[in-house]
Amino acid sequence: MPKIISCYTCRFRNMALWSLILLFSGSMMAEENVVAVVHYGTPVTTPISRIRLSSIFSMRLTTWSDGSAIKVFVLPDDNPLNSTFCKQILKLFPHQLRYAWDRLVYSGTGQAPVILSSTQEMENKIANTPGAIGYLPKEKKDDNVAILLVE
Amino acid sequence: MTMLLFSLWNSPTVTSRRNHPSNCEQWNRPPARKVHVCNFISQVLASKIVLIFCLSLSIPFNCNAFELFDSVQIHGFVSQAMFLSSGNGMFTDNKSNPNFEFTELGINGSWYATPNLRLSMQVLSRRAGRWDNGSPVIDFGLMDYSFNFDSAYRVGIRAGRVRQPYGLYNDTRDVAFTRPSILLPQSIYLEGARDLTISGDGLILYGESTKPWGNLTLELFGGYPRTESINNQFQAVFGYSGVLESNPSFVGRFNYETYNGRLRFALTGAYTTATASKSVPSPNGLVTFAPMIFSAQYTTDKWTLTSEYDFDFFKGENLGLPGFPINPDFNYFGQKYYFQAAYRFNPQWELMARYDAMYPNSHDQSGYQASIKSKGLSPDYSHYAKTMTVGLRWDITPMMMIRAEYNYINGTAWLPVQGVPTGVFGISDNSQTSKYWDLFGLQVSIRF
Repeated sequence: MPKIISCYTCRFRNMALWSLILLFSGSMMAEENVVAVVHYGTPVTTPISRIRLSSIFSMRLTTWSDGSAIKVFVLPDDNPLNSTFCKQILKLFPHQLRYAWDRLVYSGTGQAPVILSSTQEMENKIANTPGAIGYLPKEKKDDNVAILLVE
Repeated sequence: MTMLLFSLWNSPTVTSRRNHPSNCEQWNRPPARKVHVCNFISQVLASKIVLIFCLSLSIPFNCNAFELFDSVQIHGFVSQAMFLSSGNGMFTDNKSNPNFEFTELGINGSWYATPNLRLSMQVLSRRAGRWDNGSPVIDFGLMDYSFNFDSAYRVGIRAGRVRQPYGLYNDTRDVAFTRPSILLPQSIYLEGARDLTISGDGLILYGESTKPWGNLTLELFGGYPRTESINNQFQAVFGYSGVLESNPSFVGRFNYETYNGRLRFALTGAYTTATASKSVPSPNGLVTFAPMIFSAQYTTDKWTLTSEYDFDFFKGENLGLPGFPINPDFNYFGQKYYFQAAYRFNPQWELMARYDAMYPNSHDQSGYQASIKSKGLSPDYSHYAKTMTVGLRWDITPMMMIRAEYNYINGTAWLPVQGVPTGVFGISDNSQTSKYWDLFGLQVSIRF
């Protein structure tokens, strides 16, 4: 008898442990480790809607509300942060964005974002270019750029 | 990588000149075509210089574009393909294997003069057999003025030489990276009719709306489609020299996609007419082409499922010459469609499979009536084409890609005129083609 009881408790403990692990890893997955950033003084209010942010990164929306140009900066296609930003923040697949940019560039209907090689370069560009938007790792957030939250 | 590209690049000139005695003979026959050969060689040299320029710029910088100065972007691409065919030659009627006569090279620039006004131009050098000889042309050159209302609506106008809004792939049909395969599904994106649908001189009015339930885009084109290389096909098709001049034509495309872009629908309608001016005293002919295309695409992380269906009206009036034994006039209701699945089993690798069917005259799908009317010059199988394609693509880097594909084809409806041997009266003789044929292709492409 005691054996059976202990086995039940054992099972229960195991289940509890597993669900805890699942919960924890789930919340880890959901936590966004990349943030959209803009140049200080950009005429945009935070939080920004996901649709509007996607329009900006798809290069469909090209001007801020005051009519000034939006300058979009991204990291290379095969950079993990690019993929994370597309999937977690924009809820798009990186290959969709690439296809959208290619369509604009090679049909004369628009421009592609400027591709930078590192997060350091991204930080410098955003800090020094009026109207600039891009993304950075969350832990790297800096006082030189403004964070744009997504609603 | 540079060496590989140059070895591939160098081979076409050597191979095409060595293996195509019949082509050279054809060029040498009329004196005017000798100039053509000289031009061709100098153009190939010119394209090489452009390629070297592109490579020398792009490789050290290792980035996808150049910002010369603020708001100016320069982009480009170059692709070289190789084909092996068991039956008909895609770009030449003597089916030389391997065939390297498919090269695409383009460079474009875009400049935001103001946040709303953009100027853009692309120069394209395309080698695709006898008539597309690589001479650089202005592919598009336009002024684009657009205006955003409260970030959800955008309206604009593009003027100049603009891309015609046609189906899913026409906008970037010369850029290998944006195509699902080396050759686009030929039923809808017919190689022989490329000039008429690619770009035109005129205007595009467009409007876009972005809402939580999706994006709507409407584009309306009015202007003159290009006919440059089609003119060269004239003699081969109709047996006399002439010029095809486009009349004012209209194309409209309505596009809907869900907010996340996973589902996309497009509806294209076009009305294109061209006058066939003959060099002999007889009335001018008229060609009318009016397609309606339904397009659908569904995308997930790994899959892209695509299908397009085309129903078109294609009519040729008064094209023959008096006393000529065969009347080339036609009046077709065509039906064309394809189903395509692409599977990205890894971010750098993609498998593709497609079934493509083309019936230029849906009232005569077997081609029986047409073959009787042509007195055997065009057999029944030249009036349909059913194509099965499988392909594999490898994106080595975001800038460089190679792919291979295999096509199994029943029928020759989409075989370009240049792939059809010349018979009596100097016109294309479809009876000398193969009904069943295999086409294997390899392609390497670079973009920046």
